[in-house]
Amino acid sequence: MSLAEKIKVLIVDDQVTSRLLLSDALTQLGFKQITAAGDGVQGMKIMSEQPHHLVISDFNMPNMDGLGFLQAVRTNPSTKKAAFIILTAQGDRALVQKAAQLGANNVLAKPFTIEKMKAAIEAVFGALK
Amino acid sequence: MNEAVAGRRVHIIQGEYKVISDPDVVLSTILGSCVAACLRDPVAGVGGMNHFLLPGSATSMAASGDATRYGVHLMELLINGLLKKGARRDRLEAKVFGGAKTIASFSNVGEQNAAFAMEFLRDEGIRVVGSSTGGEHGRKLEFWPVSGRARQYPLTGAETQRTVALEQRPVRPAPKPAVDDSIEFF
Repeated sequence: MSLAEKIKVLIVDDQVTSRLLLSDALTQLGFKQITAAGDGVQGMKIMSEQPHHLVISDFNMPNMDGLGFLQAVRTNPSTKKAAFIILTAQGDRALVQKAAQLGANNVLAKPFTIEKMKAAIEAVFGALK
Repeated sequence: MNEAVAGRRVHIIQGEYKVISDPDVVLSTILGSCVAACLRDPVAGVGGMNHFLLPGSATSMAASGDATRYGVHLMELLINGLLKKGARRDRLEAKVFGGAKTIASFSNVGEQNAAFAMEFLRDEGIRVVGSSTGGEHGRKLEFWPVSGRARQYPLTGAETQRTVALEQRPVRPAPKPAVDDSIEFF
């Protein structure tokens, strides 16, 4: 079993289309255990019930945005060790700095290519294959 | 562009998007094979437009290549811009224009672009309240983002050819987040 197959990923994005694209890109990279949520509140509920190894979350979302979600993940003892990659469609330095301060492991800019997504994940977990 | 000098007309070019809450502003663009999605929230009184041409071929969401991700990105920037100005996703309504099938291009790229926009809006649950896509002539489009009024004028054959030629120049990259590599994550 490859590393990608072992990693449980939670993708969080308010756009249905973005969730489909993320899930498709992850599948192409060999990930098999993928769960999706539409915002931070839903994401946190899933994480508390069943912690995932990797969270890939959008920044701009209703209810609880990506940074709020990151903070919630990092303050909950059962989820705080999860790797967290934040996606941004319109990031700026302040947002990236804030994400780093709150404990994000990496940032991925939209629109991403499969190669960039792979690099962002491998920077956290090491080579996937 | 200095909007005051431009007399409340804001022109949008390929790869751009604008969000406006001033009822006197009209957004305009010129479309050949390109597509413009015009979105607004009638309750919040805010609307906007984007203008895109997917690079290469984007057959459907299922193909989910780089071209699709680029298109989704431009739609997302517009939607995020609207939400930031008080719009609510469930109140958004859309009008879609463009995607002409021109003889010069000998391809159905316009059709693919229009299909992409319609599929995206359907998947996101955004109501399409009007559209004018396809055909053999390009369009000059005006959209009043607060009232939702739209007006289009067909381009002549020569204008359409010129517009398509301009559209086929190297694609202006979508606005990139200023992600700074110097920030340490580990």
